[in-house]
Amino acid sequence: MARFLRGTTLVVVSALLMACSNGGGTAAPAASTGGASPAASASGAADSGGTGANAGATISVTSLWGGAEQENFQKVLDAFTAKTGIKTKYESIRTQYDTVLQTRISGGNPPDVSIMPGIGFLRRFAADGSIKKIKDLGIDPASIAGNYAPGILEIGKVGEDQYGIMVKFNSKSTFWYRPQKLKDAGVDVPKDWDALKDVISKLKAKGDKPLGLGAKDSWTLTDWFESIYVRQAGPEAYDKLFSKDGDWNDASVQTAIKTMLEVLNDDNVVGGINGALGAAFTDGIGQVFSASPKADMYYEGGFVGGIITGQVNKSAKLGTDADWFDFPSINGNSGVTIGGDVIAALTDKPGVKEFMQYMTTPESGEVWAKTGAIISPIKSVSPDVYPNEQTKREAAQVANATAVRFDGSDLLPSGSPDLGALLQSALKGQDLAPLLQTFQTKVKSAWDAEAS
Amino acid sequence: MSVAPAPAVVPRPPDRLRSEGRNWSTLLFLGPAAVLLIVFLVYPTIYTIILSFNRGRRGEFSSWVGLKNYQDLLGNDPDFLDLSHFPPSGALFNNVLWIIFYVGFVLFLGLVVAVMATRVRYESIIKAIVFVPMAVAATALGIIWLFVYSPDPNIGLVNSILGVAHVGPISFLGDTAWVNAALIAVGVWGSVGFATVILSAAIKAIPTEIMEAARTDGANERQIFTRIIVPMVSLPMSVLAVTLIVNVIKLFDLIFVMTGGGPGSASRVVAFTMYQESFPSGQFGKGAAVAVVMLIILVPLMIFNLRRFRTAAVT
Amino acid sequence: MTRAGAFAGDIVRPKPRTTSERLVRAINKTPIHIALALIGLIWLAPTVGLLVTSFRPRGDIQSTGWWETIFTLRFTLENYEQVLTAQGGMLGAFVNSVLISVPSTILPLVLASGAAYAFSWLHFPLRDTLFLIVVALLMVPVQLAFIPLLNLFRPLGWTQGFLAIWLAHTAYALPFGIFLLRNFFITLPKDLIEAARIDGSSNIGIFRNIVVPLSVPAIAAYGIFQFLWVWNDLLMSLVFVQTGSNFPMTRQVQNLLGQYGTEWHLLAAGAFVLMAVPLIVFFSLQRYFVQGLLAGSVK
Repeated sequence: MARFLRGTTLVVVSALLMACSNGGGTAAPAASTGGASPAASASGAADSGGTGANAGATISVTSLWGGAEQENFQKVLDAFTAKTGIKTKYESIRTQYDTVLQTRISGGNPPDVSIMPGIGFLRRFAADGSIKKIKDLGIDPASIAGNYAPGILEIGKVGEDQYGIMVKFNSKSTFWYRPQKLKDAGVDVPKDWDALKDVISKLKAKGDKPLGLGAKDSWTLTDWFESIYVRQAGPEAYDKLFSKDGDWNDASVQTAIKTMLEVLNDDNVVGGINGALGAAFTDGIGQVFSASPKADMYYEGGFVGGIITGQVNKSAKLGTDADWFDFPSINGNSGVTIGGDVIAALTDKPGVKEFMQYMTTPESGEVWAKTGAIISPIKSVSPDVYPNEQTKREAAQVANATAVRFDGSDLLPSGSPDLGALLQSALKGQDLAPLLQTFQTKVKSAWDAEAS
Repeated sequence: MSVAPAPAVVPRPPDRLRSEGRNWSTLLFLGPAAVLLIVFLVYPTIYTIILSFNRGRRGEFSSWVGLKNYQDLLGNDPDFLDLSHFPPSGALFNNVLWIIFYVGFVLFLGLVVAVMATRVRYESIIKAIVFVPMAVAATALGIIWLFVYSPDPNIGLVNSILGVAHVGPISFLGDTAWVNAALIAVGVWGSVGFATVILSAAIKAIPTEIMEAARTDGANERQIFTRIIVPMVSLPMSVLAVTLIVNVIKLFDLIFVMTGGGPGSASRVVAFTMYQESFPSGQFGKGAAVAVVMLIILVPLMIFNLRRFRTAAVT
Repeated sequence: MTRAGAFAGDIVRPKPRTTSERLVRAINKTPIHIALALIGLIWLAPTVGLLVTSFRPRGDIQSTGWWETIFTLRFTLENYEQVLTAQGGMLGAFVNSVLISVPSTILPLVLASGAAYAFSWLHFPLRDTLFLIVVALLMVPVQLAFIPLLNLFRPLGWTQGFLAIWLAHTAYALPFGIFLLRNFFITLPKDLIEAARIDGSSNIGIFRNIVVPLSVPAIAAYGIFQFLWVWNDLLMSLVFVQTGSNFPMTRQVQNLLGQYGTEWHLLAAGAFVLMAVPLIVFFSLQRYFVQGLLAGSVK
């Protein structure tokens, strides 16, 4: 037994020594940085392209992207390294992003640059003092304002200060459909809400289920709501609703939800509402665009195209098998809603300023736009860069829109009640007034808490 | 056993030195554990109590708010406690549901399985099967049951069975009417083994003379069960019950993995609220208040356990 | 304490002699057999279902239920391959789980044994009160510690490596360990220890030569408990393991849950990689596990 204890002590001591000596994991290197490290060091080696200050520094970048999205973003990171010689270490945090970010900040170990999980979070982390102001990094916000259409940079502002910069977005006003099906039914692409209802009934007459819906991922429902609301109540009312002055008990909210239910009901949706509530977002896409489709149209953002060809049905061709039309106008109003991501700097280590600056340049926009996964908010990125017609049109749609609004539910404070869950209950036919009443109470206290 | 005879004359070290030596080695045995306990349990508890009276930006003492967090939590937070209708709802109420149904079913099923198992030759196999979930991570349990509950009848076992009867499909985890029952079922599934093993040992410890006497007197199985077995296992059952209730208060992993408190906040429990308020919402002061509420609820249970073991400690 | 003698589980009725008696006995027990079969099924089916799924090709999983595999018998290893080797794969996480679990088991074993010994065989002021306080600390939920400790560790940089989580796991394991082992140690024969004291043995000597050797079953049981608990932990690693390359398997499986849709073929395989070690440990060391459970609760 003496040996047992001696042996134990030995193990414990050596373990402690091991922990103190290396700050990083002794485990298989960079399991989650995967492709990042080799790529980064490869371009680091081709360092002759790197000029300017801080070449050779390394910064850490985190986001919640994985899979194809991560590969596309990695191209941007590689281009940055090639240009400046500053290396990047990418970490993908797929779940509990906000928690991990907060614990790393508290643990004194924040990533240098991070995608923000939402504008509410941007505001909160800014108020906490965890994010660096853009101007404190040495970048003058006025100088980059010209790169963006009006309103885009504002999204990353908290109060008067610029904290985040939008780096990518997708339109959320793209209504995807199977062109053949509409042709067979003898209808044109609907331009307004009544035409949409007409298309739906004609498709039903042909024995089809007109709509796919992935309502289990409740955020898809929030997109429906926002698209309807911004058209029905107008952009100003939209802004008010998703601000601290918003009143969810207002009649306009109920009207918008009821309009939504005109179209999302048991007759029109594959599997009925019950089935839809059990279908995830990608299942919904599959309902319409897989090799054995069950429905004809699917409303979600511009990223659907990439998911169709990349994941759901690799043999599908955009344009013939899948295409999109503008979300129908209501009462003559159309406005485009977009969903996007902003990045923020959490430290001012060497290399961070250069990276943030790089992400405001047309070059970074072009590298990313070429992948076809995103639309770049940078004005001067030429539409020709986009690899297919669908994304070109998407970029044009946003550029030419009369009003552009950011995804509302992303604007709500962190800790807000779940708008998607409310809409799921609405879908099930529950009484709207009490649901909205509770929602208003909760969201109001979230706004108050954010301000305190 | 024989003891070596004490040597006739051996100078004993003076008493003072002896007790000093004792103190030094006592420190060695207790010291490291004490340090860790103080740093990791005592200090955070005190910190959290103070934080609960604070706004707690970033988890630090950013601004004093007095009792505001508690007022908000108990009076103004329908996710935590909603007394405006009957039956009430909210995370606190969900814990009550768990205490009633989870503890109840685990004890009941544990006892029943334990009793039945003693009658068959494959007893240890049954006990092993039922116990397996205890060895498995909550994350894996969550995945197993996410799979079983899937709303797609081609994937989810329950919905495919229901499909045979032309019922459903039901989204167990996506429907506020079902979610808590579904989660409690998973909890029970995971804990029955624990109860079975403990109660089985307790049953086996019942003296056979009592059972023999009862059988000779003509008692049937049901009477033996209710009049003999149940009373004689009531002590381990009460210990088990307390352990299970403590588990319920601390319940987090399963909810986190399976529903994230959803849909909306329908399946939240108190420990999850503590996490939710702290990290995703950034209201660390409020989260601390929830933690203090948890501690307050646990105090009576603490006292109960302490009373039980005070007797054992004295021996 | 009622440990001696025959157990009540032994059927007290005389063994059946004739075939007809045996038959009657069997029929009487049929409801029990049925009930237990049903229970066995309910407790096995979900796990087996996932296991079978982990070996099925992706297309099959989405189109047919796993129970239909009996008819097609189409299996594949590619799910496991993908899970183990893909970017952020489970192989690295497996190593991390080992690196986290082993010290987090050994350290508490050592410290808890020492403290339990002090509480059982050493005398010092307030001994029983302190012991009760330790038992009370069992109630402290782990979530409490996160923010205060993260703030504490920040200047020390301990969350970069494994030190933070080792110490955290150890600390949270101590109340239960001290409680369990102390309750076991006090049952050791008093005269043995007294004799050693008279012989001039030091406290350390008594601990090393008498207490520990006699307590191997209890210590082993506690060790198994602790190992499984740490291996299966998610929450602590969520907070205290901050570097992505250090994530244990429980964290990594979460990443498989992914952003868009549920990739069951990967999840199933990932879950089983996660479960493999605990299940092996459990089945091979079942006896100690059960013993350990009983050591503290049924007196």
